[in-house]
Amino acid sequence: MAYLGRILHGFKTLLTGLRITGRESMRKPVTLTYPHVEPKLTGAYRSAIKLIRFEEMDSHDCVACLACEQICPSFCIKIDGGKIEGIKKKRATLFEMDFALCSLCGLCIDVCPTDTLEYSRLYDEAGYDRDWNMDLLEEFRDFEPTFIEQQREREEKEAAAKAAKKAAAAKAKAEADAKKAAEAEKAGGDAPKSGDAPKSGEAPKSGDAPKSGEGSAS
Amino acid sequence: MPKTLAEMLGSPMLAVATGLGGVMGLLSFNALFCIYLERKISAWIQRRMGPMEVGFHGMLQTVADMVKLLGKQLITPKGIDKPLYHLAPLVVFAPVVAGTSLMAFSGSFALHHIDLGLVLVFTFGGFAVLGIFMAGWGSNNKYALLGAMRSVAQNISYEIPLLLSALSVVMLTTSMGRTVTVGDETVAVQGLNLFHITMVQMDRNVWFIVLQPVAAILFFIAVLAETNRAPFDIPEAESELVAGFHTEYSGMRFALFFFGEYSNMLIGCMVATTLFFGGWSGPLLPGPVWFFLKSYALMAVMMWVRWTYPRLRFDQLMRFCWMVMIPLSIVNLLVTAFFLKVF
Repeated sequence: MAYLGRILHGFKTLLTGLRITGRESMRKPVTLTYPHVEPKLTGAYRSAIKLIRFEEMDSHDCVACLACEQICPSFCIKIDGGKIEGIKKKRATLFEMDFALCSLCGLCIDVCPTDTLEYSRLYDEAGYDRDWNMDLLEEFRDFEPTFIEQQREREEKEAAAKAAKKAAAAKAKAEADAKKAAEAEKAGGDAPKSGDAPKSGEAPKSGDAPKSGEGSAS
Repeated sequence: MPKTLAEMLGSPMLAVATGLGGVMGLLSFNALFCIYLERKISAWIQRRMGPMEVGFHGMLQTVADMVKLLGKQLITPKGIDKPLYHLAPLVVFAPVVAGTSLMAFSGSFALHHIDLGLVLVFTFGGFAVLGIFMAGWGSNNKYALLGAMRSVAQNISYEIPLLLSALSVVMLTTSMGRTVTVGDETVAVQGLNLFHITMVQMDRNVWFIVLQPVAAILFFIAVLAETNRAPFDIPEAESELVAGFHTEYSGMRFALFFFGEYSNMLIGCMVATTLFFGGWSGPLLPGPVWFFLKSYALMAVMMWVRWTYPRLRFDQLMRFCWMVMIPLSIVNLLVTAFFLKVF
């Protein structure tokens, strides 16, 4: 009887196994048909660094400060650049990274003063050489002359705004001075403190107005 | 009565040529289709997708594989027993062709119509063991020899429950009716005739799996073992024996073994269909369609089983056969005989 019981028990477990595999075969496959679909990357996915394209300037903001190059423990970043003729801003003219050496530690991203570095979402890159240099400036290169032109305009505008502000401030100060002088004349040197108060209240007001106007225009 | 091909064509030679062509075509298609089916079923069970790239849903994948195998170099190792080594794939494959031609897939048409059909099918089935042992012995390779020895031990052991469970069906067939009326002619039933086994089931409107459930299960398990399918694929246990008996075979020689395995599966399933599932009987659709539908359903179950169970250890395999299968099949046979005698 124990013999038959064991056979029956074994048969039952076999059927359980078949039921499990049968049930699994009816479920949707979990396969990712890789080249045909893009994989879902996690938010914390790390790949080769890249330069962020800022909307307001339509380009990266690398100022070639070399902070990332210096902090990189794998010595995989190579930057060249500096002062560009015509604009005040410093620009990188070369930004290469050897991804074969990179360990994705992220120190460069942390150290970047202009926050223009981030991890890219590349997941199927392949290197074909021993040194796998990625040109991070490649996508910006065509746009660079235009950028410099625009940057010059921006800087000119900024300078103009600054000049206007300065002029306005000077004007306000002159006015205040004139007022003060007039008041002083009227009062005959009486109460210099009460004369100071309207001056300090007026000056920023008159200075603010042209500044905000310039800002919205640009 | 089914008309044989020779009667229809009027010339035995022509019948042999056509029949051989037809059977080879069927077996080739079967191998290609089964490999595809096996990959798909294994994929579904493991929640993968299987071949998807070559052709629509990977349907041409096996064709591509076959072309690759055809183009492969035939490597002949040193120190082999030449006649055995070269003959083995043929010895595995040829009986399969012969066995397939005996199948009762239609009530009106047959390639052969032999009263001892069932015996002949099992005889041809036994040849596969010989071929496998020739391959293992001739290869001059310890893994191949070990695989072949395991295969022989396993096949010979499992042939006993296979035959005993088939025998209970034969007993049932002969005693359920001495004669069967098909159309306007009366046929004297021969228990070993595959056509008659189906006819009796049609006549009585019952599938023998209902009357012989234990025999059906034993038969199915024995067929799994006979065809060296998982969980009984110890002869080619790749984790222990590289590839078992076909370790030293490459290219089309290897493909012939593969052909042989899948054809043996088909034969096993076709015999099981005839014995337990009413052969070609079924409503609406023509007989052969029902026959192959049932056979391939059984084939799918074999694959389902393969991708469900882990491989048995050799002693477990032998114990299972001698302690469970054979006693059960003998008891089943005795009970069948007892009931047939009493009622």
